[in-house]
Amino acid sequence: MELLMPGLGLIFWMTVAFGLVLIILKKYAWKPILNVLIQREAKLAQSLANAKRIEREMAQLAELKTVKVAEAEQIYSETTKKAHAEAEKIIDEAREKARLEAKDIMNRADELIQAYKKEAMREIQGQLSALSLDIAEKVLHEEFSDRERNARYVKKLLDQVVEN
Amino acid sequence: MGSVKRKILKDFVKASIFAVMVGLFLCAPVTLVASENNESQKEFDARKVIVDHVLDAYDWHLFDIGDKEFSIPLPVILIYEGRFYIFSSARFDHGYASYKGFRIADDGARKGRAIRVLEDGVTPDPNASFIFDFSITKNVVAVFAASIILCLIFISVGKRYRNADPDHIPKGLPAFMEPLIFFVRDQIALLAIDREHYHKFMPYLLTVFFFILLNNLLGLVPFFPGGANVTGNISVTFVLAMFTFVTTHWFANKGYWQHMFNMPGVPMFLKLPIPILPVLEIVGAFIKPFTLMIRLFANITAGHMVILSLTSLIFVLGSVSIFLGYVISPITVLFLIFLNFLKILVAFLQAYIFTLFSAFFFGMAVPKEHH
Repeated sequence: MELLMPGLGLIFWMTVAFGLVLIILKKYAWKPILNVLIQREAKLAQSLANAKRIEREMAQLAELKTVKVAEAEQIYSETTKKAHAEAEKIIDEAREKARLEAKDIMNRADELIQAYKKEAMREIQGQLSALSLDIAEKVLHEEFSDRERNARYVKKLLDQVVEN
Repeated sequence: MGSVKRKILKDFVKASIFAVMVGLFLCAPVTLVASENNESQKEFDARKVIVDHVLDAYDWHLFDIGDKEFSIPLPVILIYEGRFYIFSSARFDHGYASYKGFRIADDGARKGRAIRVLEDGVTPDPNASFIFDFSITKNVVAVFAASIILCLIFISVGKRYRNADPDHIPKGLPAFMEPLIFFVRDQIALLAIDREHYHKFMPYLLTVFFFILLNNLLGLVPFFPGGANVTGNISVTFVLAMFTFVTTHWFANKGYWQHMFNMPGVPMFLKLPIPILPVLEIVGAFIKPFTLMIRLFANITAGHMVILSLTSLIFVLGSVSIFLGYVISPITVLFLIFLNFLKILVAFLQAYIFTLFSAFFFGMAVPKEHH
């Protein structure tokens, strides 16, 4: 039973001691500690929020990146295609031009060849006629050197006429 | 994996053997004393030893050597019939002597406390008026010591937090205390009290938690600076419960008082003309701190008593037969080791429970406005 008997002195001293401890610790321990803990938590919460925001932004950027890359790829392929087409066109044009030029050159060459040919022919004709005349002259000269035969031939020709 | 388990097992066996050896070493003189008591034909009264150890005392008993008691005398402060009587408790000679008409009662309701005695120095004075006893008893000293230790620890911790960078990770003592402070806040205060109001109660909850915890742990230390049964003393738990009671009603808001006198949502006939519910609520308001007081007191006192009983078992059996005393000692010591670990758990548990229930009462004192 004596265990359950509260003691006045102990109650008094305990109240004093505990009250003092409460006041002292409230001022010198709990306030600064809890302040720092609350600050730290606020900071942590903010950091977490920041991290979340950054993550979200990163995701957005990544999305943007894929879009941009796709766009760039499209532009690239389009440009390449266009460039190809243009290059082909240029090549075609160049080929055509070259062909025309070549044809022109050929034509001119043909003309020249024809002209040369004509000239050559004319020259050859001239020479030929001169040569022919020479030959003819020579032949005639030769022919007429043999009088007897000529006389025979003339007689033959005359005979034919007489016969007719 | 297997090797790690084997190592743990080996360590455990080693530790057990060590514990038994230490226990035997400690027990040997104890048993010797018991046998001496036996030889000197002094009856070993286990009940007296146990109750005396859990009770408050005017001096701080250290140890006995043979028949001689060694203790630290403490100041006795009495106010009787308007006069102060201040003297050393050594004057009482461990309760065997009277001084200036005062004596420590051997039995009765004020057993172990100072009473007024007649001229013969033994018979209690039947006409004595009330003695205001403000003596610095063993428990008062223990309370002061615990208070000083608590202040030293937490002022030094608090100093490191003053103007501290919140990014700074605590080291040393703060690193040890911070999880406990977080525990009190997150697992006790925020669990029981509305987030809007909890901060008002944090200083009290933290103080009461660490005060009870420290005193519980000091109570487990079996020699001088510890060993006082502070949190197992009804006066101490009464004061703690009163602090909770006063704090509850100091901070109680409109919702609490409305709940008490005019509980919303219940039929009128429970409130008028006979205020059954308000009466119940008012009684409940007093029962709540009363349960706090009894719970802490009973748990800690019971723990002390079990440990003391087991220790006394050695003496009791030793007085029957010295060999029986030797045989029982190691078993008892093993039990005591187990019990001391259990008591460390209980020390935390009771500090937690007292704080948690206080927090629940605070939570009821500041209900949310929407009712």
